[in-house]
Amino acid sequence: MSLLRYESQVRSPLVDGDKDYHQVTEDIIRPIEAAPTRAWWIGFIISVACLLFGVVSVTTQVIYGVGQWDLNRTIGWGWDITNFVWWVGIGHAGTLISAILLLFRQQWRTGVNRAAEAMTIFAVMCAGQFPIWHMGRVWLCFFIMPYPNTRGPLWPNFNSPLLWDVFAISTYFTVSLLFWYSGLLPDLATVRDRAKLKWRKAFYGVAAFGWSGSTKHWQRHEALSLVLAGLSTPLVLSVHTIVSFDFATSVIPGWHTTIFPPYFVAGAIFSGFAMVQTLLLVTRKVLNLKDYITMEHIEVMNKVIVLTGSIVGVAYLTELFISWYGQNKFEGWAFAQNRVNIFSPYGWSYYLMMGCNVLSPQIFWFSKMRRNLTVTFFMSVLVNVGMWFERFVIIVTSIYRDYLPSSWSTYYAPSIWEVGFYVGTFGLFFTCYFLFSKFFPVIAVAEIKHILKKAGESYKDKMGDLEKEPVEEFAHEYAHAH
Amino acid sequence: MSDKKYWQSFGERSNSEAFQKSSEDEFSESLPLEGLDGKGLLDAKTPRRDFLKYLGFSTAAATLAASCEMPVRHVVPYLNKPENTIPGVADYYATTYTIGGDVIPVVAKVRDGRPIKLEGNKVSSLGQGTTGARVQASVLDLYDTARLRFPVQIVDGKAQEVSTFEAFDKLVADALAGAGGAVVLLTGTITSPTTKQIISEFLAKYPGSRHVQYDADSYSGLIQAGEASYGKKAIPSYKFENAKVVVSLGADFLGTWLTAEQFSRAYAKGRKIDEKNPEMSKHFQFESLLSLTGANADERFTHKPSETGAVALALLAELGGSVTAPALPENLKAGVKKAARELIENKGKALVVSGSNNVNVQIIVNAINEAIGATGTTVDWASPMMTRQGIDSEMNTLVADLNDGKVGALLVYGVNPAYDYFDAEKFKAGLKKTKVSVSFNDRLDETTELVKFALPAPHFLESWGDAEPKPGFYSFLQPTIAPLFKTRPFEDNLLKWSGNATTYEAFFKQYWIGKLGGMEAYEKALQDGVVEPAASAAGGASFNSAKTGDAAAALAAGKKGGAYEVVLYQKIGLGVGAQANNPWLLELPDPVTKATWDNYAVVSPEFAKKTWKDMDLSDRRQADGYEVFPKKQVIKVKVNGKELTLPAVIVPGTHNEVIGIAVGYGRQSADPKNTADYIGRAAAGDDGSGTGVGKNAFPLMSFNGTTVDWFGIDASFEDVKDWYKVAITQTHYGYEGRTEVVKELTLDEFKKNPSTVLEEREKELKPFGGVENFEKQGTLYPTYDKPGIKWGMSIDLNSCFGCGACVVACHAENNVPVVGKSEVLRFHDMHWLRIDRYYSTPGGKLDNPDDVQVIFQPMLCQHCDNAPCENVCPVNATNHSSEGMNQMAYNRCIGTRYCANNCPYKVRRFNWADYTGADSFPNNQDQKTVGKLDPAVFQMNDELTRMVLNPDVVVRSRGVMEKCSFCAQRLQEGKLKAKKENRVLEDMVDIQTACQQACPTDAIVFGNANDSKSLISTTRAEHAQRLFHVIEEVHTLPNINYLAKVRHTEEVYGVAEEGKEATAEKHS
Repeated sequence: MSLLRYESQVRSPLVDGDKDYHQVTEDIIRPIEAAPTRAWWIGFIISVACLLFGVVSVTTQVIYGVGQWDLNRTIGWGWDITNFVWWVGIGHAGTLISAILLLFRQQWRTGVNRAAEAMTIFAVMCAGQFPIWHMGRVWLCFFIMPYPNTRGPLWPNFNSPLLWDVFAISTYFTVSLLFWYSGLLPDLATVRDRAKLKWRKAFYGVAAFGWSGSTKHWQRHEALSLVLAGLSTPLVLSVHTIVSFDFATSVIPGWHTTIFPPYFVAGAIFSGFAMVQTLLLVTRKVLNLKDYITMEHIEVMNKVIVLTGSIVGVAYLTELFISWYGQNKFEGWAFAQNRVNIFSPYGWSYYLMMGCNVLSPQIFWFSKMRRNLTVTFFMSVLVNVGMWFERFVIIVTSIYRDYLPSSWSTYYAPSIWEVGFYVGTFGLFFTCYFLFSKFFPVIAVAEIKHILKKAGESYKDKMGDLEKEPVEEFAHEYAHAH
Repeated sequence: MSDKKYWQSFGERSNSEAFQKSSEDEFSESLPLEGLDGKGLLDAKTPRRDFLKYLGFSTAAATLAASCEMPVRHVVPYLNKPENTIPGVADYYATTYTIGGDVIPVVAKVRDGRPIKLEGNKVSSLGQGTTGARVQASVLDLYDTARLRFPVQIVDGKAQEVSTFEAFDKLVADALAGAGGAVVLLTGTITSPTTKQIISEFLAKYPGSRHVQYDADSYSGLIQAGEASYGKKAIPSYKFENAKVVVSLGADFLGTWLTAEQFSRAYAKGRKIDEKNPEMSKHFQFESLLSLTGANADERFTHKPSETGAVALALLAELGGSVTAPALPENLKAGVKKAARELIENKGKALVVSGSNNVNVQIIVNAINEAIGATGTTVDWASPMMTRQGIDSEMNTLVADLNDGKVGALLVYGVNPAYDYFDAEKFKAGLKKTKVSVSFNDRLDETTELVKFALPAPHFLESWGDAEPKPGFYSFLQPTIAPLFKTRPFEDNLLKWSGNATTYEAFFKQYWIGKLGGMEAYEKALQDGVVEPAASAAGGASFNSAKTGDAAAALAAGKKGGAYEVVLYQKIGLGVGAQANNPWLLELPDPVTKATWDNYAVVSPEFAKKTWKDMDLSDRRQADGYEVFPKKQVIKVKVNGKELTLPAVIVPGTHNEVIGIAVGYGRQSADPKNTADYIGRAAAGDDGSGTGVGKNAFPLMSFNGTTVDWFGIDASFEDVKDWYKVAITQTHYGYEGRTEVVKELTLDEFKKNPSTVLEEREKELKPFGGVENFEKQGTLYPTYDKPGIKWGMSIDLNSCFGCGACVVACHAENNVPVVGKSEVLRFHDMHWLRIDRYYSTPGGKLDNPDDVQVIFQPMLCQHCDNAPCENVCPVNATNHSSEGMNQMAYNRCIGTRYCANNCPYKVRRFNWADYTGADSFPNNQDQKTVGKLDPAVFQMNDELTRMVLNPDVVVRSRGVMEKCSFCAQRLQEGKLKAKKENRVLEDMVDIQTACQQACPTDAIVFGNANDSKSLISTTRAEHAQRLFHVIEEVHTLPNINYLAKVRHTEEVYGVAEEGKEATAEKHS
């Protein structure tokens, strides 16, 4: 018996079902060519409706002022920046899956990377809305760009974390978009080549940038992927680090915390994976892609969730410890009274955060739970609720009662336009996602074919007999198989 | 501008050939651009630099053309420039604030023909230039949109314009001729000598006529007690500056009692601390509610209003008076004893005042002042106050006469009894029966809308006039603006109707030229604004003790109160409500409750605990529930057969069985639909019903046979199980032991160890190098020298009494927007300067209203040298000036609000909506779903009201952050003035911030801290022991310092206790 006959007892195949290359193409490209389903239409219309609600909310706010939100002189940021950080966090998983897992050669990523990357891009788009529209005078938002001008020249303030945000997020968005699109090229060419309709041929023809599948193309494509992966990897860490600086560099107790960068990054990956989970569970069901997004994927991602969730939990506890150990009166108050004290006005939000983010993911220590779709789906939503509250807790419970008790705020709850804006970004996100799932292959066809050879069920069917042959024979056949 | 040249290298400096060549060759490789023709880049048709210019210009032009469509507003220049007026340069005229009998000499700042700001007149010895909140705000009344703009005749409740004064004169003359019965002139207190003379001439013309003076805030009891005790029907002058011990029996002499502004200044003299020789006056306050004065007292004892007489009697008895002390609760007994001991020890240097309007109480107080040797030292009968002369019984007689039809014609001037008389219904009924009624009030107020003829009198800033607050002390009024409307002075009318052809202006001039002895003296008097006699010592008066016994007997026989008693009081903003349509005053937070825009029932924490099961404020959870939501429980208060439904606001320091209600609110026309037009949009309230802001509490008063009582002793209340939102700007009570925020200590502690505060700071800053090295060692960054001017401010917590004059002055000076109640409810108030008020009680317990200490802390931008707001602004909209100011470039601000979040003092204010009408979006003040703006905002944006805006200060648009600028415009003006005169900048002469100037007690000192001779430097040096910065260890390095509050008490509650416990724990 040769070594090659060894069948792993631990790892299940990355692609289920008896697939060959053509079948893979068929499975994934079919939804693009077929007319949208009823479910798709319903989802799409709801998404667009939400988006329109958001547009109305933002328009109202731009015309009448930020007073359309229920922020106040003590709570200058509320839902707006909470949502911003939340969406940016969600936008982390995609690049992490694509880039870091590519570099670490985690081949299970191929089943989920495309959708995760798309999610990243849409999430960052949603996130970007908040810092833009939360400005009091948004029509002057270009003041924030360092462009040559006749005002002195007058530059933006390079000390301000908000400016760092602009650079960090725009860079992240650009690189993520390039990464996503360059990965799409071979698949777009596949769609083009299969297209029978004229417009489709033309559209995908342009979109595919003349991809011919030549070795040279493939070689450059691989090289570019690696370069972009290399570029993205530090970005995954830097973006949320910089976002965390919005708070960490301030003087507000509860914001001014050195643990924020790693804690934010862990939290971002945590929430990002949860969002990927939510989306993929729906996608695999709706588009019938169970063979590509397998239980194995779900389990692996649940493991990441329990890991990052625990890191976040440790961060929370560290914060508490430091607030006690540091013996700073104001920081002590921010944690002990504004947060831990469940009876304080916002105490409930701290426990909601703790419950959703730290306690609930612990369920994934059990493999049975990791492989339970219902539990996974429920948990993925819960984690994102928890992560939303994490940001809310950080932002609002810190500033609503800070140094001077005279300025302690009244209770803050969002106005309809604040809620509308948030709902609107969901609308934007899902509108984009629905369009993406309709017009682009949600799974990287080309990449899945790479792993099909070694991991598919078809391997056993086709190579089973060969394995019985002597080693030399087998090697020969293996080299020519498929 | 200096012609300094900056250079980057020695080559550039010497401009050597090599340098020239190298700079030409900087870009040795020419770029392949079109139009170069092989020449150098700079010789091209479109060289690089021009290219960038074109690019920049075309982009800017395109942007401008595409997006910046701003509403066009025309500026109309003078066709013929008026003489002596330079556009843009302010003129100052001395005049006098005269509303409701108050006389406060002021100087009006007039810009381009419009008075825009009032300051105290420092020439006057009465208060030496003090102003109060209402004085500061009165300039806005001039531009009140609800002012009556022409004479009217009211037929069937409808006001019809009378086209000319002549026509009006004829109408009134005819009516007066056929009136029959007496002609009665009903006015407020008249202190003007000329007006008095004109009135007497007028009365002489109409036989049987009389003049009745009526004060809504009546001091009848005090005046009549003077008559009983001293044979003088007047109010003595009180010399608080001479008093080492002050005992106030319910007199809010720092807030609303008589000339509180002047008393504050005098009283502050005894409260300021000289560090080398620390002494302070001792102040006892016996009262029912926590007044502003009580909040500043050293010892405070609460009692029910029915016990007022008993407290006075007990005090007199304790001082050896021949009266028997009545039974009193233990706390009061002890308090009285304590106060008496101090009074005896300081005989001749003590003062007892009472806020009661009861003649008997005041007679006892007179006896007390006799007993402690106050008469002639702290109570001056030689120069009595004439600012209140109304006698309640006279008004009562008049109302009875009106109802009996004995009055043929009633002429009303400056008073509004249909609103503020305790039995307004009876007055209205009587007015209806009167054949001829004329009003000279400035608007169709509750009284004026019921008369037959109304001819509006001009605002005091449009008038000639004079006032005599004390015998021989004259203060003059001169017009600072041509009359805005078709108004005629009250005096003119009387002159005309008594057949005198001279105008008041001529009469006035003639009178004073005659009296002062010539034109020159007259002009000097107008220029100075005041004429005063030489300073004289306080004088006594012969005391008649005969009435004391009767008074004591009457008080001893006084009725006992019921379960609850009601006290009516005035708020510092509105007083009796004469200026009730003034948005600045309505939005001024009450010094104690910090509530704006409403009146409410003030109740004690104990009261709340008993009434509502979830309102125990000593329980943190329940206190949170109370404070984070603006809605408050509503109660229906019943007293004297009347009832009033009001929200309950909990104030520690309120007697547990007392409910307090402020008067001056609830202005309302007979038909509420007219309130907005007749009384004013702001006063009409925010809900469009026209029922007015708050509720009118005057009807709860009662007449005791001699005077009007400002309380009701048999009251009850009912929980109506309803909620009402009260706009409170500061919700949290205490300062949570945060000694980094406020520092206070007792006088004894201070004497024992004057450096307590310094040591505390040293301890806090020890990890960062201590006080000395904190600036350098508290940061990783380099520190810089700060040469030239460095603005600094010092605020003395010992002499800040929280009166709020600075808050309104800041509004007026800096065009701070009014946001209205609904926006204050959303915590959107825009005050650049606010006064933080913190309570502390022993052990955090709230059950004993006597054990409450209050501290006021004016809080404004601290102008930090290491400002947290500056480094977080992404666009550099807020930055640091070389003079130590933290400045805002409004044009650059994009409104991320990060600066406000990162401000540890929370003094930055964001324009949440278009409060000023200055936004790029036109007509965007019609919010419907969220953030509906109140009528008050629209009133402030009226073309007329906008005339009050200070042209030196930009009006901020929405979406922009704003905050205290240290009155940068004033500093700039001062610097330029000094520069033009080629001399060094002098503080207090060239520069004063608006808040500093308005402060009656000089608690705020401002100036150049780099000038060792400036007041700020000397203040800081002289008070180095008490100096501290708020939350200093955050290393913001504020340019504002505070001076710790020293209390003349045995202990400081709250903090000190916690501190002690903490140290005790550590040691055990």
